[in-house]
Amino acid sequence: MREQLVRRPSTWEVLQDRGIERRDFLKFCMTTTAALGLEAALVPRVVEALETQPRLPVMWMHGLECTCCSESFIRSAHPLVADIVFNMISLDYDDTLQAAAGHQVEAIRKKMMQEYDGEYVLAVEGNAPTKDGGVYCLVAGETFESQLLEAAAHAKFVIAWGSCASNGCVQAAYPNPTGAKPVRKLVFDKPVINVPGCPPISEVMTGLLTYVLTFGKLPELDRQNRPKAFYGHRIHDKCYRRAHFDAGQFVERWDDGGAQKGWCLYKMGCRGPTTYNACSSMMWNDGTSFPIGSGHGCIGCSEDNFWDDGPFYERLTSIPLPGIDSTPETVGKVAAGAALLGVAGHAAAFAIKHRNDPPRDKEMAEGGAS
Amino acid sequence: MSSTHVAIPEAPSYQRVYVWQWPIRVFHWITAASIVVLFTSGWLIGNPTLVSNGEAWEHFVMGRVREVHLVAAMVFTLAFAWRSAWFFLGNRHARSGFPYFWKPSWWRNLVTQGLDYLKLEAGTPHLGHNALAGLSYTLFIIGLGLVQIFTGFALLGQAQPGGLSDRLFGWVLPLLGGAMRATAWHHLAAWGFVVFVVLHVYIIFIDARQYRNGLIVSIITGYKFKRRRAAGETSKANDD
Repeated sequence: MREQLVRRPSTWEVLQDRGIERRDFLKFCMTTTAALGLEAALVPRVVEALETQPRLPVMWMHGLECTCCSESFIRSAHPLVADIVFNMISLDYDDTLQAAAGHQVEAIRKKMMQEYDGEYVLAVEGNAPTKDGGVYCLVAGETFESQLLEAAAHAKFVIAWGSCASNGCVQAAYPNPTGAKPVRKLVFDKPVINVPGCPPISEVMTGLLTYVLTFGKLPELDRQNRPKAFYGHRIHDKCYRRAHFDAGQFVERWDDGGAQKGWCLYKMGCRGPTTYNACSSMMWNDGTSFPIGSGHGCIGCSEDNFWDDGPFYERLTSIPLPGIDSTPETVGKVAAGAALLGVAGHAAAFAIKHRNDPPRDKEMAEGGAS
Repeated sequence: MSSTHVAIPEAPSYQRVYVWQWPIRVFHWITAASIVVLFTSGWLIGNPTLVSNGEAWEHFVMGRVREVHLVAAMVFTLAFAWRSAWFFLGNRHARSGFPYFWKPSWWRNLVTQGLDYLKLEAGTPHLGHNALAGLSYTLFIIGLGLVQIFTGFALLGQAQPGGLSDRLFGWVLPLLGGAMRATAWHHLAAWGFVVFVVLHVYIIFIDARQYRNGLIVSIITGYKFKRRRAAGETSKANDD
């Protein structure tokens, strides 16, 4: 009995306390299983895990960021889903959401690193400035960089929420005045899962946590450590306007007929063909819409360097070398023109210099050439 | 008949020399054709001007342009591999002019050839490539060709996640900082081929005019002409 009291409760136990019905709980398990791209036969495993596994302790840190990831996370599709997810994980430390403040928060953080050493998941929102000793982001008098490294050292693994933590996002854009570095460039001793997006889709965030809780391991990750289930395809590959791309039907101006008919936004600079995310399949706000669905191109917010690879309304970015602000097309045309002028000049100079030479046929006949 | 008739040396004073073996000639024309197709179709992918009207299901314009580009890319890559193998398997002309940076003779040839062009002088006829030609083929065809193959297949891999080109070349995209940047490099290198074509065609014509050794037709027939030397005569002509 005593053991029962100190044991951390499972998700289902917590949900029962909150008055969630068994039926709704099972619905959530099925939805999540489908969202993770798992087969229906695995639903019982998800149910069993949420019934028996103690809740996943999560430490949620905020560095240089705008909190849009948290905003997205707490708006997970169904209110029930959000509720379940919040009960499913044990969000013991989140300096933005928690009621405690000041020294209490620091005490919780330290306690968590002791009690759940090597067990908790470190969720990082935002990144750490590294210039000038990291003074551009201080938490409780310490640099965020040092807090991040300390928390990561005691964590089971690290989730980098959003483009800030995964890629650097706006604060790491050129010229990156604070030396902001994404988590993967700071933490090397623990697995780092990147969940890019500005913000990531809420169902992607909750889905990842459910997977970890259910199977006790990380989901299949791609080359850039993103969960394959959500970042396996480009926006372009699942886009409902893809048929117009293949047909050669493009919006040329924001007010033309093509825009009214919902043609492809490729020529308006849509980043769908170079962006990996689940927007075009899962969409946002309970499957309501996503940028392309509203007639605006994708800006590629879940891709590395997306702030530097502008302009957003041009198909091609400038050559990725410092100090060059021209597209490859411009540079190429200038180079080709210069080559043409060069050979024309050479041909003219050659003709002038050799204007008095004997005709080549005669010279050849006389054995002049060899 | 004038006095020049008398001066005609005894025939045959020129000999036909087999220089370009058939794999080289096939490679040349396949590559030339694929570069034209690749640049044209690539231009239409980057700046779609072929557009259609009506219902989307009636058309596949952009899809076909991409298809042409991809098939031409496969052809270019296979020809590239074919020529790379022939570098080792072919006759000595297949390796002529290649930048052997460690050989002083290659550097001397490069300087001589470069100065001849700059001073507008008739240079030295070569049976194979001179050092400057070898350098330009290495930079433009091998160098830019590799850039196009690596960035191109990496970009193709996006459309086929987990497929062969994704597994073999997908690492290129994060290395270059994303697909947008890989695309930028792919476009820039494509223009490099335009610059190459301008220089290549011009130099072929001016050298053919200077040397009268069948330079142009040699890439079709494989034969170049070389003057027989009289006894004791020295020539600066290069047999490589």
